[in-house]
Amino acid sequence: MATKSSRCLIAAIVRYVILSLWAIIAFFPIYWMVSTSFKPDIQWFAWPPVYFPDPPTLTNYMNVWLGSEQYDQSQYAISSQKPLVSLWNSTVIALSSTFLSVTFGSVLAYGVSRHRILSEARMFQLLMLRMIPPIVVVAPLSLYYSALGLLDTRIGLIMVYFLTTLPYAVWMTKSFIDEVPREVEQAAEILGASRWRTVFEIVLPLIRSGLVATFLFILILTWSEYLLALIITKTQVSMLPIELSKYQGSTEGRVYGRQAALAVGITIPLMIVGLIIRKHLARGFSFGMVRR
Amino acid sequence: MARIELSDLNKSFGAVQAVKNLNFTIEDGEFVVFVGPSGCGKTTTLRMIAGFEDPTSGEIRIDGRVVNDLEPRDRNLGMVFQSHALFPHKNVAQNIEFGLRMKKVAPEERTMRVREVADMVRIGHLLDKMPSQCSGGESQRVALARTLVTNPSTFLLDEPLSSLDAKLRRELRAECDRLHQALKRTFIFVTHDQEEAMTLADRIIVMRAGEIVQVGSPMEIYSNPVNYFVADFFGSPSMNLVAGEVVRDNGIARFRSALFDIRLPERLKTASAGKGTLGIRPEHVGINVGGKTDATLPVRLVEPLGKDTLLYFDAGTDRAFVAVSEGLRMADTRIGERLTLSLDERRLHLFDASGRCIRVS
Repeated sequence: MATKSSRCLIAAIVRYVILSLWAIIAFFPIYWMVSTSFKPDIQWFAWPPVYFPDPPTLTNYMNVWLGSEQYDQSQYAISSQKPLVSLWNSTVIALSSTFLSVTFGSVLAYGVSRHRILSEARMFQLLMLRMIPPIVVVAPLSLYYSALGLLDTRIGLIMVYFLTTLPYAVWMTKSFIDEVPREVEQAAEILGASRWRTVFEIVLPLIRSGLVATFLFILILTWSEYLLALIITKTQVSMLPIELSKYQGSTEGRVYGRQAALAVGITIPLMIVGLIIRKHLARGFSFGMVRR
Repeated sequence: MARIELSDLNKSFGAVQAVKNLNFTIEDGEFVVFVGPSGCGKTTTLRMIAGFEDPTSGEIRIDGRVVNDLEPRDRNLGMVFQSHALFPHKNVAQNIEFGLRMKKVAPEERTMRVREVADMVRIGHLLDKMPSQCSGGESQRVALARTLVTNPSTFLLDEPLSSLDAKLRRELRAECDRLHQALKRTFIFVTHDQEEAMTLADRIIVMRAGEIVQVGSPMEIYSNPVNYFVADFFGSPSMNLVAGEVVRDNGIARFRSALFDIRLPERLKTASAGKGTLGIRPEHVGINVGGKTDATLPVRLVEPLGKDTLLYFDAGTDRAFVAVSEGLRMADTRIGERLTLSLDERRLHLFDASGRCIRVS
């Protein structure tokens, strides 16, 4: 008969084996992306697969991000715009729309949480809006945008991202505001604080981690959004996910190495943001951060 | 200075009427306790006075001025909440200082006054701590200090001690009493704990189902409850209440139940016949005293408390008939032993079928 401690040990071993296997499966594509980005072109398709670039090379990065002279023009000219321009577009559009979404979303969420300006049914309808597959709305949207002159503009994309992510912002921030006891706000009010002062000095600092988590969640959504960007942008504005897709099935075939180098470049900014705000993320995603 | 008047005050939440037609005046400097079971409307009334709830109808006046439309911050009141409601992201000193900052008091004066009130409620050593590092009792002292520092005309306390353990409750109860004596301000205290109400109040307002049932000093409420509900609510252990009927026998009024047959005292002799309830507090029941015997009942449970011993008798109902014996003299009483009981007729209460106390002479 196994003792309690040996049973615990076996359970722990099984748990770690399963989790380790799962971690390998989950991280392999990321490893493969990073590894491929450093491989010379003959190793992109090699069989058996080359797991470690030999020798590692920065050629893919130089070609994608700097447009090196080593490759001839026809091989480089996959995109109409240079990736650095796309990086700038993605940064401006994703940050602006996320900022707008979280700002307006949290104001709306405060109204819903404290003054019930939207009934529960309306809140669900708001979320249901987001359940509509984007492909359904792109056709009428592109017509409207064409009429309004918003096609292929940054403002156009910012607006559509702001509106499509607003339901998430409202739902997420509302759950954080609900966590702040009403009495804490009332204590501030009776001590002489105005409503705005209460919101800025009491509520916002208490839901800061939640706002940061919401911000990152929406930033990831907009940063990696593909379909709306594909329909709304043409030649003037290009986004990174669109750029990335151009390396698949283009006339040159599959240029995996350079695609991987671009993908690494797209991923790094989000990872940096995540690292900077990691302290808030852990608290924000764990909810219940206000001690009652 | 604050005299608070409530006139014809009503509050409904949808179809539920939480407060019904309240009329009373709280005098300046008075310590008034609202007491009643959960959902009786006491907290709603307090929140209307604070300005967090708008009355459905009626007026609230503070020093003669109608304040219905004033924001909570403009009423010059201080409130201590049941949950303490400290700002979790500010340390104790910042919590206390908050009200002064809102009133734009100069920084040097703020520091001085924070120190002053912190010493007053004995939390001077906690000023740099965060609320999460404070115990329940310390948090409540911080909440008190945060209210004290703004020097409000009236203190509203919404069940401030209910989240604390018994010892801390007693300590902070004494603290509240001391502050009231020292500050001479109006205190309005809400509680469902009758013991708190009895020990703190100048005047108790007993509420039930949104209405005032009785207003009076603790002794008045305890000694002369207006109805069955108040009689049952106040006192620990609560009053013995025996259901039976009043009968008239050759012009003499008697109370009869399965176990009692008692001649009603002179002051109740004109009580009309019919169903009724007899009430007597445990401390007014004599055990084996000799002389008059009103009932002989078997002991169901003995509770020696040190100073007193509680004896629970089987009265043929779910609820035991309780008597108090001084000291531990009866602590060794055997379960099932039959003892003779005599009721102090000067202390008998009689309630009619509707629960109202019969007061006839």
